[in-house]
Amino acid sequence: MRVVHAELRKLLGLPPAWGALALGLVVAPVIAYLNRHVSSVDAGYQEFAFGMIGVIVLGVVAVSSEYRAESAEDAGTRQIVTSLTAVPSRVQLLAAKAGALTLTVTVLAAVTAAVTLTVADAEITAARVLGAIIYWVLTALLATGITLLTRSGVVPLVVLILNTTVVSVTYLISKVLSAAGYFPDLAGSRMFIRGGHVDLGIAPATGGLIMCGWTAVVVTAGAVAFCRRDA
Amino acid sequence: MISIDQITKQRGRRRILSEVSFVARPGRVTGFLGPNGAGKSSTLRILLGLDRAQAGTALVCGRPFRRLRRPLTTVGAVLDGSGAHRSRTARGHLRWLAASNGLPRRRVEEVLGLVGLADAGGRRVRGYSLGMGRRLALAAALLGDPEVLVLDEPVNGLDPAGIRWMRELLRAQARAGRTVLLSSHLMGELAETVDDVVVINVGRIVARGTLGEVVAGHRTLEDAFLALTAPGQTSPGQTSPGQTSPGLSA
Repeated sequence: MRVVHAELRKLLGLPPAWGALALGLVVAPVIAYLNRHVSSVDAGYQEFAFGMIGVIVLGVVAVSSEYRAESAEDAGTRQIVTSLTAVPSRVQLLAAKAGALTLTVTVLAAVTAAVTLTVADAEITAARVLGAIIYWVLTALLATGITLLTRSGVVPLVVLILNTTVVSVTYLISKVLSAAGYFPDLAGSRMFIRGGHVDLGIAPATGGLIMCGWTAVVVTAGAVAFCRRDA
Repeated sequence: MISIDQITKQRGRRRILSEVSFVARPGRVTGFLGPNGAGKSSTLRILLGLDRAQAGTALVCGRPFRRLRRPLTTVGAVLDGSGAHRSRTARGHLRWLAASNGLPRRRVEEVLGLVGLADAGGRRVRGYSLGMGRRLALAAALLGDPEVLVLDEPVNGLDPAGIRWMRELLRAQARAGRTVLLSSHLMGELAETVDDVVVINVGRIVARGTLGEVVAGHRTLEDAFLALTAPGQTSPGQTSPGQTSPGLSA
């Protein structure tokens, strides 16, 4: 608990994390407002999905900030050295980091969902809202897992944000290869999206489990790398 | 008490540490000397559980660093730089550190005062000078009032007044019975600060003992150091002074 508290302070003490929270909070309601006259079964929920850019940034920054060199000129110390001299167990450190991120994203997602669905005047069902919150949490953890492998925020940020905003590569692949519906972002979205273009008939719970599986694999890979490599 | 026993570290195909052994005892300042790239930082990083050695053990107060609970109360470490993310304030940095080890928040203000950063505690670290960054790193090391201090090149970036201040602080820590281990390549500075000396060259310990023992036969510590680390002196120091000094097997 002590270490989770420290990780929360660490995460929320970073200006980029505040930017990410603001992004997460604002993007979905704004799009929902612009789309308020478009009626669809997914009104509000579809827009909510776009807000996850902020969550991706948060998940990436939670790890990349540890490896950010102190100054641009030299490769001075990175915060990870301080973190590990304070919490030497890497498993404990990562678990606390994941816990702090989950808490933060859960609160952010709940607030954003409430605002977005109200703006969109959407029907609020507990199961779909819960699905939407879980989707954001898993997305953040996926971003964290990938960043544990790369240790730098650039690649995961570019790939993940492009995929959610400009052009959804996973969606394009799914046009050619229907199995692509099992990619984590597409499968996971079945937890709260009912219509949509990709429908393999994946039930909400199944979609959630598929996304959980992806997240578990990626986070485990990241954790193994983190525990094995020299800091 | 720090005991390092037969540490060997290989990076790729290059062996960077070969059977490094020494101890740093309580109540004394131990200087860890070597040319750049000799293996000083690698040894300290292994001691602090940041890097893994292929063989050997490194113990702090009889336990591996990774087994310590609330390690800040046992070991304070100063590695290069400030150790803080550049967009944090010094106070913000020390607060999360204090929280991680369950230390009271008032310690943050105490250590900021102790290192002379009380007025700069609210500024972001990116605006700090090199010397201020070093002071912040020292503040973090002192946060848990630890029995052991490990410092890698602590006076780098400090001005003459800062160097003297650091020396007096480390001497005071040793007088209070703490174990202080610091690495450096600045001989003049070290000769004034340390009680014991360990010299490393190309990944091997070439001398260890009290300051007097290591300097014996040379005019100054610098002369002794240059003689010990001169090219051709890279074989393990069977003949080096201090090999039989007390404290080796303690």
